[in-house]
Amino acid sequence: MFPGIDGFHWTVAHVVFLSLFFAVVLTIIATVVSAVWRTTHDFRTHQAIELCWKADFAELPESDRRCRHELAGRVISRTCDNAFDCRHCEKYSQFAVLPATGLGASLGLNFSDDRLYHRGHTWVKPAEDGTVTIGLDELADHLIGNPDSINMPEIGAELEINQTAWRMKKNGSEIQVRAPLEGTIIGIGGPKEGWYLKIRPRLDPRDPKTLRHLLRGPEVRGWLSRELERLQLQVRAPNTPPTLADGGVLMRGLMDAMPDADWNTVLADTFLEI
Amino acid sequence: MASAALTDRRPTDSNMADRKWIARGEERTSLSRFLLGLSPWVVVLALGIYAAGLCLYYGLNQTNMDNRFAFGLWIFLDLGIIALGAGAFFTGFLVYILKRAELRPILNTAVVVGFICYSGAVAILMIDVGQPLRAWFTFWHPNTHSMLTEVTFCISCYLLVLCLEYIPILLRNRQLRKLPSFLVFEHQLHKLVPVLAGVGTLLSFFHQGSLGGLYGVLRGRPFAFRAGIFIWPSTFFLFILSAIASGPSFLMLITATVEKVTRRRLVPPELFRRLGFISGVLLAIYVAAKSIDTLIWLNITSPSVGFAPWQYYIHKPFGTPILFAEIVLFGLLPAFLLTYRRTATRRGWLLSAAALACAGILLNRFVLTVQTLAVPTLAFDEFLQYTPSWQEVASFAGVIAYGVIVYSLSYRYLPLFAPPKGESTHVSGD
Repeated sequence: MFPGIDGFHWTVAHVVFLSLFFAVVLTIIATVVSAVWRTTHDFRTHQAIELCWKADFAELPESDRRCRHELAGRVISRTCDNAFDCRHCEKYSQFAVLPATGLGASLGLNFSDDRLYHRGHTWVKPAEDGTVTIGLDELADHLIGNPDSINMPEIGAELEINQTAWRMKKNGSEIQVRAPLEGTIIGIGGPKEGWYLKIRPRLDPRDPKTLRHLLRGPEVRGWLSRELERLQLQVRAPNTPPTLADGGVLMRGLMDAMPDADWNTVLADTFLEI
Repeated sequence: MASAALTDRRPTDSNMADRKWIARGEERTSLSRFLLGLSPWVVVLALGIYAAGLCLYYGLNQTNMDNRFAFGLWIFLDLGIIALGAGAFFTGFLVYILKRAELRPILNTAVVVGFICYSGAVAILMIDVGQPLRAWFTFWHPNTHSMLTEVTFCISCYLLVLCLEYIPILLRNRQLRKLPSFLVFEHQLHKLVPVLAGVGTLLSFFHQGSLGGLYGVLRGRPFAFRAGIFIWPSTFFLFILSAIASGPSFLMLITATVEKVTRRRLVPPELFRRLGFISGVLLAIYVAAKSIDTLIWLNITSPSVGFAPWQYYIHKPFGTPILFAEIVLFGLLPAFLLTYRRTATRRGWLLSAAALACAGILLNRFVLTVQTLAVPTLAFDEFLQYTPSWQEVASFAGVIAYGVIVYSLSYRYLPLFAPPKGESTHVSGD
């Protein structure tokens, strides 16, 4: 194996064979070391969080990756190729000026024009003082009803966009709610006020670009109508074909009312879980 | 495979924890049915481990091998599964080096199959060597003039490469990917996989060849001894050719079996035809090379060492029909069926041809292992019969069971047939 070890000879066969072998072994080791080094580097330079979200985003079904402009009816069909990061989307301004032609019918869900919405079913409400409040939207709230337990982060903790903001448990399922924005937590609402987080965003919320990635107005309507459609298909009775809705609104506490539904899939789709 | 049939749409409570480990949107059979399907294989594996333990504890007297029959069922298994596992390196080579992107959907399953084949082969070799505690001797004091040394080095390194290629697939499990460090490492390692594919190709090329070469250099066994080029006998090249010809066929068979069991379409039908065509063309080249080699061996090489060709085929059951079967039935025929448009477009014909191609490679490895040693070479020698002991058979079956279990678990919990990263993201209608 090495000069000085019993059996080694300074012959062409030994030198060529062992050189080849060591070259291969060194290549393999270098590959692993390089992967470990790059991983460490990604964490040191805070690129890891973005990479994780991009990896998760790439695994989402195409139906979950629709562009906001398609949801608003500004384009016929467009799959987001920018991990919902409209802040850095080159196409954003090109489509944003087009007129929205989305749905006008009532969805039976409350969503407010002074709030912005994240695809992971959270809303964001900016305040005058430069802080924002984050809460669960009505569709998610109606699905879960009263959670069995809730695990909110502590005040002062840092939130990263698209990473877990808080966790809940309901009927044995763990739900991870994705953060719609990056920032520092400065307040937490309890069960009486409705669970929410108050955060000081890392970027200036008065800059239009900071909240640009969140849905608003007709985009919310288009998105929620698709979410309701998906939900209706997912919780239909077993072995029955999809049927047209005959009216009615989403009741609160659907998980309790329909315990036999495939909540693993429904919750994963709702909260963008992979 | 045990990852059996389509499931109930609504999982029961007992399946909830299990479902968390299964990729979102994927339907798998219930946990109880899955475990029930696996249980016979677990029993076989346990028996195999017990038999292997006996061999390691008491020594090779537990086998029916002896000084004359030093290669038996285990070496046949090693050669067979290493040849069939060649789909892993060859697919990696086609995708990453030759940029044949259409084969990507089968890449993950190729890696898992390759990992199973090579780890199974190494496990059996550890038992066969009989002194696993001294296994490091072969690295520390290598005999660089031995084909076996090259085989040992290359197989060990390639198994390491396969482990590294398997890790990104493993880390894409639904729960494991929730750990950011795992997900980022998977991402970075995945980017370096082309390097590993290149190294794997080099290693596989040499060890497939050396496995054949070690028979070709057996001057004392004229049934296997071959002329060659420089230091490499013709079997060196024939083993490489036959391995890369059968690898894609084996991948096709595995995928088709999983499709049948799960009643799902996992890869596009065009991919089967593409794999079949690659396999067929390479098999045709192999059959041509093998035919020329056989003619040279029968007419020149063998007579030159004092053996008339008929002497190899007078001992039943090793008659000339085996040679015919190897070249025509399991060589020429599947090569034709895999490449002829009318048969290649019909799934039944395609899979039958793939099965014939794999059977042909197994027959070739069997003949080279067993017939080589069975045929008498000295005046006082007799034709030797060899029947493996139950410990050999159990270890053999244990490796097969290990393969079924690992593949079933991988299919259930890992994205083996999911579209490759990033490719599912595209823009339309801008």
